[in-house]
Amino acid sequence: MGTLLLVGTRKGLFLLRSDDARRDWELEGPLLTGWSVYHAMQDPRDGDLYVAGNNFVYGGTVQRSSDLGQTWTRSEGLGLPEDTGLELAEVWHVEPGHASEPDTLWLGATPGALFRSPDKGETWEPVMGLVQHKTREQWEPGAGGMCCHSIQIDPDDPKRMYAAISAAGTFRTDDGGKSWLPANTGVAADFLPDPFPVVGQCVHKLLLHPERPERLWQQNHCGVYRSDDRGDNWERLEGNGLPSGFGFPLALHPRSPDVAFVIPEEGAENRVTPDGRLGVYRTDDGGATWQLLESGLPKPAWGSVMREGFASDSRDPAGIYFGTQSGSVFVSASEGEEWQEVARQLPPVLSVEAGEW
Amino acid sequence: MVVVKLPALIAEQAGGQREFDVEAATVGDALRALPISDLLLDERGNLRRLVNVYVDGQDAREADGLQTALDAAQEVRVIAAVAGG
Repeated sequence: MGTLLLVGTRKGLFLLRSDDARRDWELEGPLLTGWSVYHAMQDPRDGDLYVAGNNFVYGGTVQRSSDLGQTWTRSEGLGLPEDTGLELAEVWHVEPGHASEPDTLWLGATPGALFRSPDKGETWEPVMGLVQHKTREQWEPGAGGMCCHSIQIDPDDPKRMYAAISAAGTFRTDDGGKSWLPANTGVAADFLPDPFPVVGQCVHKLLLHPERPERLWQQNHCGVYRSDDRGDNWERLEGNGLPSGFGFPLALHPRSPDVAFVIPEEGAENRVTPDGRLGVYRTDDGGATWQLLESGLPKPAWGSVMREGFASDSRDPAGIYFGTQSGSVFVSASEGEEWQEVARQLPPVLSVEAGEW
Repeated sequence: MVVVKLPALIAEQAGGQREFDVEAATVGDALRALPISDLLLDERGNLRRLVNVYVDGQDAREADGLQTALDAAQEVRVIAAVAGG
């Protein structure tokens, strides 16, 4: 089984293929030309590809391919009910459902919307418990719109899942999506009069560790955080090696719950790599300390990485991948120790996910 | 019978077909008859803001929009507005 990298860009989807060594890569694309691929992933349950794609004229849609991108089927009828007063603006993230529900998928969208598909993405129903959440009036859109960009499902319990919206915060459901509780205690919102509100936090990316599902990580507008109690409480982890708490993407090690990766930016007011140094920071101790990994990365480099532009695979040693707004894709087959540029001069990269071919 | 002509990007979403012959009384009926109607109309059924429709060269928005009668019209042309990046 070879390694497949799905690279979503502002101008279509690219695929990169390699073998187990992950050293030599072959580029294919662009596929879905004309569509901005905010997120593309391979469903590990059946190998199908899914794309959350947007076009400035024709709107947002989800596309599925059962033949590794040769042909695509588009979801239809995606939208929000009129009585919500909300209209779908953009689709952001498509997430495979729980292993016990093989036809179920979840979709995060703007404005602050979550959808569920019971039929592999053919049709989508809005999750009204979140769309009409009682705190919604306190949500504010970030620069990327009020996007629901992170959806995480507890592998031990199909009814427990998490959704993160910028800037509304993280929400957890324990009943399959009927009711949602804010899960933001300890997470700062320095841009609000009350820096620790119940909701309104600007989460940039949220991930759950599959080997220890009560552990969540988030890269936020205001710091990097970890929770060990399903989001009930959060601990801020910056300092001890991180040049900044600001950044967008986040990646986790596929097996070790103590290992996480971030790519910080200088700060909210200057969203570039700190001192022009493109670097991945890894913690091996749950966020207590962070080490810079930059061997093989260009410098100076100001190649910002979007919130979906960072991923890990499930191999051993784990492969770590990121794509930049300046159109490069970097791969490490050594858990971040050594990097190589495997594609360059692509359109701005919006998302990176690893799969198999 | 009227022919509806599509731009390349959405024709690709319609299996590569750029022209459709449809029986339709209004512009709205003609667009709703297409397999890519969801890309032209939003979830309320309104014409998307940057989608322009011309009936024999006449902008449908300057007539009755989706209610514009096709009567003896020959051609409905869909064109993306000049916008974007």
